[in-house]
Amino acid sequence: MNTQALFSVALLAPQAACPSELFAGDAAASRFAVYRNNVFSSLTAALSDSYPVVEQLVGSAFFQAMARVFIEHSPPRSPVLVNYGQDFADFIDRFEPAASLPYLGDVARLERLRVEAYHAADCPVISAQALGAYLQQPEQLMQLRMKLRPGLAVLTSKHPVYSLWTAHQGIGDLASIHLAQAEQLLVLRDGLEVLLLPLPSASAVFIQALQRGEGFADAVVAALPLAPEFDAGPSLALLIRHSAITELEPS
Amino acid sequence: MNNKTLTTATLVLALGSAIGLAAMPAHAADDMEKCFGVAMKGKNDCAAGAGTTCAGTAKMNDQANAWKLVPKGTCEKTASSTSPTGFGQMAAFTPKS
Repeated sequence: MNTQALFSVALLAPQAACPSELFAGDAAASRFAVYRNNVFSSLTAALSDSYPVVEQLVGSAFFQAMARVFIEHSPPRSPVLVNYGQDFADFIDRFEPAASLPYLGDVARLERLRVEAYHAADCPVISAQALGAYLQQPEQLMQLRMKLRPGLAVLTSKHPVYSLWTAHQGIGDLASIHLAQAEQLLVLRDGLEVLLLPLPSASAVFIQALQRGEGFADAVVAALPLAPEFDAGPSLALLIRHSAITELEPS
Repeated sequence: MNNKTLTTATLVLALGSAIGLAAMPAHAADDMEKCFGVAMKGKNDCAAGAGTTCAGTAKMNDQANAWKLVPKGTCEKTASSTSPTGFGQMAAFTPKS
């Protein structure tokens, strides 16, 4: 093992001894312990910044212990700290002590999507007028593909993640949330603000289909099994109003 | 029945209604209610009071005469640091000192 690998392995393994060949002097072990502690505490702070509601749901002590296990298994792969913890939600799903909160992983997914939407690139937007031009060319409408803005995401969950998240922003009533209630939501940045917009399940499927690059007609058809009378109007209105459509690709 | 024509007509209708809906002010949905005293500083949907330019002008958290739209039924359950009742109210109120 080379010197650098030796150092980083010891850094993330609290049980491991200080790599003595790298240091001289009596205080080497305690100095290394200080350094190791700083690494863990800065990464824990980064996770805490990105996942504030997860932290509120489990409490600070549990969160720090969970973060510690995560950091040992998933050290940063990029120097960009804001991206750290991209697989935190998957880790939480497998983290035995959190099994009593089955919604916790999806709440983490929601918080990750917020961070990604916030940092996603700006890009030019399609106006309602440009879209309206297709009212005159209905034959093109069937195959019309709509590209959605970077960072936009649909989250579908078996749990009421939207209600849980908003309740922790002081909106709504935590006591009235039914934990078995499935919820879907749209995450996107409009201007400087990241928005979370609850969606009916058929709308979620419709927007996901658009995002996959399916044509307008196919996207509507994809939503029909969930709502036989599905009207794409309100979902499209949402996308237009929040500047979410960035490109139109006629067939 | 010609299925393709039907679908095209449906799509035209959906797009038309989408453009119409998008032009309406956001939060027009009637399952929201105006809630006073719960908006964060600068995050109010509209502020009462003469001479204000309304949305986004609240000078302090939980300003008593600034409201935001919240889901119906939740206003009087939302904590407010300025409200004498401790929760949001459906009308502007005099903040406790």
